[in-house]
Amino acid sequence: MITTLTIGFSLPTPFDAPYMERALLAGALIAIPLALLGAWVVIQGRAFFAHAVGVATFPGVVVGLGIPALGPFLGSLLAAALFTAVVTGLERDHRISGGAVTGLALSSAMALGAVLLVSVFGTATPVEAVLFGSLLAVSDADVTRCLIIAAVTVAALFFMHGRLAAVAFDVRWAAGAGARPRVVAVALPGLLALAVVGALPAVGSLLVSGLVVLPAATARLLVVRLPGLLALSAALGLAFSVGGLAAARLMDIPPGAAITTLGGIAFATVATGLAADAAVRRRPGLAR
Amino acid sequence: MSPRAAGLEVRGLSVRLGGRSVLEDVSFKAPAGALVGVLGPNGAGKTTLLRALLGVVPFSGEVDMTGEIAYVPQSGSVNSSFPIDAFGVVAMARYPRRRWGWRLTSADRALALAMLDEVGLAAEARRPFDELSGGQRQRVLVARALAQEGDVLLLDEPLAGIDLPSQETILDVIAARCRRGALALMTTHDLAQAARVCQRLVLLDRVLIAEGPNEEVMRTDVLRRAYGTSLLVIDDGAVIVNDGAHHDH
Repeated sequence: MITTLTIGFSLPTPFDAPYMERALLAGALIAIPLALLGAWVVIQGRAFFAHAVGVATFPGVVVGLGIPALGPFLGSLLAAALFTAVVTGLERDHRISGGAVTGLALSSAMALGAVLLVSVFGTATPVEAVLFGSLLAVSDADVTRCLIIAAVTVAALFFMHGRLAAVAFDVRWAAGAGARPRVVAVALPGLLALAVVGALPAVGSLLVSGLVVLPAATARLLVVRLPGLLALSAALGLAFSVGGLAAARLMDIPPGAAITTLGGIAFATVATGLAADAAVRRRPGLAR
Repeated sequence: MSPRAAGLEVRGLSVRLGGRSVLEDVSFKAPAGALVGVLGPNGAGKTTLLRALLGVVPFSGEVDMTGEIAYVPQSGSVNSSFPIDAFGVVAMARYPRRRWGWRLTSADRALALAMLDEVGLAAEARRPFDELSGGQRQRVLVARALAQEGDVLLLDEPLAGIDLPSQETILDVIAARCRRGALALMTTHDLAQAARVCQRLVLLDRVLIAEGPNEEVMRTDVLRRAYGTSLLVIDDGAVIVNDGAHHDH
């Protein structure tokens, strides 16, 4: 229903197919919360966690596809919630903090998914679509979910902004100033898990982190203040998502791979351009 | 700052962290208007004392304190990959005051600029924090604490490792707050500086060694109980302490 309401005219190639409307809407809607969360992920150095929570949904999607009463959305939501709870809980132990828990939970989830796929639910599961996304996999319900998740995430980030900033910049000071770092430490991974699950049908579990980390990391190279980072990250996320979905249709490649490749090219271009610019400025005689 | 005078009285304060006693039975008084130096060797519990007063580490004992707290954590606590300018850091002091939301009021902005001006950095307001010198950064963090408008200033090694002009600026703004009735507690490794700028001292080594006016604490026999063999006593009575000046996280 949303699709027909929102897009009332016929779209140009590569967006003309009906399934492309849904993929485009879902991709655009979910790219914004993912990129906004990505800004905080990059600031806090939690890109590895962001990647892992995506991959950790893999066994959940497999189980959800195998048990129709559960479905892939609930299955992946449960997997992401379980992963987030386990990792944030165990990471408090300083002996195994710093990525060890994330890493082992990531590989365990991947292994569990593979085992379930082959031994329990059979090879009929569309593995490539689960891992890399599919333009055909996005349903009307998925679009509605993306809309709700985008609204919830943007609202939560807006209302928590001051606390988030204080905690991410200086957690010791923030704790003393009453910014409740523990609330932030639970809320941010929770929102990330939710947004990642929303993105799965279109971009897949293995590459969803591309929409989290690439827009924010690219933007961070170009801006020096937080409002600019959030705005540019959201804009880049939107561009990577829409551009990648178009490329996926035109070139018949999985959308997750197309989006992440596009984002990777953008990041590499910006990073190389800035490095070249800095090198030119450093060379005596060439600068002006 | 509220008109009432800030004061602090600590009775029998003990902190255990991870099953280990970090501070035991510490008692002292600090009157409003005083700059109190908190001294002690590495691991003496100086930072822990400030964090207990802040309410972020659990403690037993009693703390009587009038007024709101402002805090300058030890340098190195900030996330240098955070994109923010000097003004943004100071303005951040206003966020916890509003429970939710994004916008700063014009009064918040004016206050943040005034505090930056007070530490001599109004001209650097739009410069990225990570491009500032160590002394400038520390002055920005002090300005952030001033913008909290607290009656009790807790400063953890605010002068460590920064240039002398920045040290002087920071001491000047602390003194100005104390003259207006605030109470400041400052941890430091620099005994000579503490003797010069503080009115009272609290000497710790997991327990309270001594507290009171400078002349009661700055005595060879008292200091030796905290610093042991790190204390070098020369003929004319001069005292040099080599404690390595590492941070006691």
